[in-house]
Amino acid sequence: MRSWIILLIIATSLMNHALAASFHLAIVTASNAEESNRGRSFAGIQTRVERPVRRAVELALFESKTSFEAFGIVPELQVVDIDAKRSLKDQLKAIHSNALIILDLPKPEFVETAKLLDERGQTTVNVRHPDIDLRDMLCLPSLYHTIPSERMYFDALGQFLIYRGWRKVLVVHGPTDKDRLRTQILERSLKKFGANISDFREFTLSHHPDDRDKNKPEFLTGDASYDVVAVIDSAKDFGRYIQYSTRRARPVVGDVGLTPVGWHRTLERYGAPQLNERYQSFDEENSLPASEAMSDEEFAAWSAVKLITNSLGTIDAISETLDPREILAHPDTQVDLYKGTRGSIRRWNNQLRQPILLATGDAVVAVAPMPKFLHPKHYVDTLGLDEPESRCNLK
Amino acid sequence: MGKHLHTVNFNRKIIVSMVLIIVSIGGPRAVAFEALVTNERSGDVIHVDEDGRTNHVVPICNRPRGMVRGLVDSHVIIACSDDHKVITYNRATRTIESEISPVRGAMNIAIHNASSRLFVTNEGAARASVFNLSSGQLIAELPTGLEPDGIAITDDGKTLFVASENAGLVHVFDGSNYEQQGVIKTNLRPRRITLFKKELWVSSEMGSRVEIFDIETRAKRDEVIFAPKGFRPEQMTPVDIAFNDLANEAYIALGSANHIAIVDITTRKITKYILVGRRAWGLGLSPDKQTLIVLNGLSDDFTLIDLQTKRPYLTKRAGLIPHSIKVFE
Repeated sequence: MRSWIILLIIATSLMNHALAASFHLAIVTASNAEESNRGRSFAGIQTRVERPVRRAVELALFESKTSFEAFGIVPELQVVDIDAKRSLKDQLKAIHSNALIILDLPKPEFVETAKLLDERGQTTVNVRHPDIDLRDMLCLPSLYHTIPSERMYFDALGQFLIYRGWRKVLVVHGPTDKDRLRTQILERSLKKFGANISDFREFTLSHHPDDRDKNKPEFLTGDASYDVVAVIDSAKDFGRYIQYSTRRARPVVGDVGLTPVGWHRTLERYGAPQLNERYQSFDEENSLPASEAMSDEEFAAWSAVKLITNSLGTIDAISETLDPREILAHPDTQVDLYKGTRGSIRRWNNQLRQPILLATGDAVVAVAPMPKFLHPKHYVDTLGLDEPESRCNLK
Repeated sequence: MGKHLHTVNFNRKIIVSMVLIIVSIGGPRAVAFEALVTNERSGDVIHVDEDGRTNHVVPICNRPRGMVRGLVDSHVIIACSDDHKVITYNRATRTIESEISPVRGAMNIAIHNASSRLFVTNEGAARASVFNLSSGQLIAELPTGLEPDGIAITDDGKTLFVASENAGLVHVFDGSNYEQQGVIKTNLRPRRITLFKKELWVSSEMGSRVEIFDIETRAKRDEVIFAPKGFRPEQMTPVDIAFNDLANEAYIALGSANHIAIVDITTRKITKYILVGRRAWGLGLSPDKQTLIVLNGLSDDFTLIDLQTKRPYLTKRAGLIPHSIKVFE
């Protein structure tokens, strides 16, 4: 087992404060279990950002330095890199019982680890998987999700299409199980807001002439009437070639073109430029170029830590143990997400509620919820699995 | 926002403006004033009169933001964030009199007249700095939380308050030896801090409230939470606060909620919400306290409100992203 503890060195000037508590934080990774092509498509072309979330966790701790000093708190970050050859249970025992545990794991390892830690009553955070089954079916009381769910992403897209008056949608999707499943979720979102689906078209990666109806964007998008093309291509293999090649001159949205995201490097408002700048430069030895963006997964990990540290200020009484169970269960727990509306926790499925950005490669075109999509209770609850439709009911 | 959307909003605005014009017929004739507005994106200062006319547009620096009255009535002090300097601008001659540089990421400003000191928040540097306003000499640098914004000094010059947006803290410093005396916990994203009599009012932009603290004990006395009709509480993003002691009213710009709130200073009750432009944040009060001027950061305009009738009567174009306003006789 490779596990170690890093005591973050916090400036020595701890104020003479009654509280002298530790904030325990752990990241669980499985570097050997990761797919070798992290974020790369065919021929090694980088099409997605997939990297460990640790930088974002350290950024969140760096940001909280002043508060930690003011309140006499010492953060302790522990990283556990799971070795598949050894007992998972044993390796998880090294994690402090009061730690907020960020699971930076592929899905099979994620589910196994989350269950084991739930049995031990420990608090875990999903920062990587938007999958609906983790909310609706797994539904663990100790598991929080700071990465948006697929429904949140697609609901944001659905609202945007309706807002623009693009009601007729041609859906083009990939052949994998994941693509088909995500296409169903997209369909639910589009129907929720009243869009019409002109047709579903499945693409293939084959270049064989017999498959041309499924491999040429012009044919894939032909013989249909539509305002917009929505593309589901989880691997980003083929979808990238659909823009500018559709039969009709129509915009492309979904996994390519205008994409719903949790975070973006070009958000201009709400203090976001400062967060992006900090992400790139806070680590003096490993600063990043300005084009280097914080991924949705990293933003989710950052949000998880900030949920705790922001709450140090907004919750009146926090016991000295800084127990994440207590803090996350508190009704006043909230977080400044630099997206214009604060984040808080949906009690029915432990999902972090948050605005979703609709972005191209170099601009945030809109921030959902879109105007006039109103919810009776909470401004952003038009995005995602609302209480009545959630199969998970943790409250 | 796309082009089409913009047209929709524009049309709506025309309708709103038409309503406002009708209201303004036979409306108030404000006592003459001169308002100065910093526009952070167009990099200028505009001189506006009581009829909402822009009489002068003066290019001034890159990203002018915080602005306060100078030591003499013809001067304002302006923070030029992207030039990392603070300038003294003469509104009579419309020229820059002097500048203090470097002042890294200068964001908001307070001055203490009696001791001729300038206090500036350094946004990217997580600190506030103190200068001698006459000599431009740096006196002290004070560590704060990340993204310091609002800054205020008590009239007696003894206590300095600095709000850090990221940290959710107001740092309290001794105004003489600059030692940190403690911190005040605030709700999410404290922006502006305003001293009124024995109280410190802090707008919490992401906490959607204004918190009121006792200056002496620093204990929280009260908070004001906003709820205009048709909005959810989390949509309120308050920024600027202005006090009108004559009417015992505080005015609070509610940011993305596109309203301002009028609050009774004593009872803390919200007596009225007034619809203005998009992302209302900067506030200025006319010298006779009959007119409130609201800067709308996202619609690049400002709205004049008659404080007798509590009605907005005029909305006019500003520069790009109007930030701060000061109003003179």
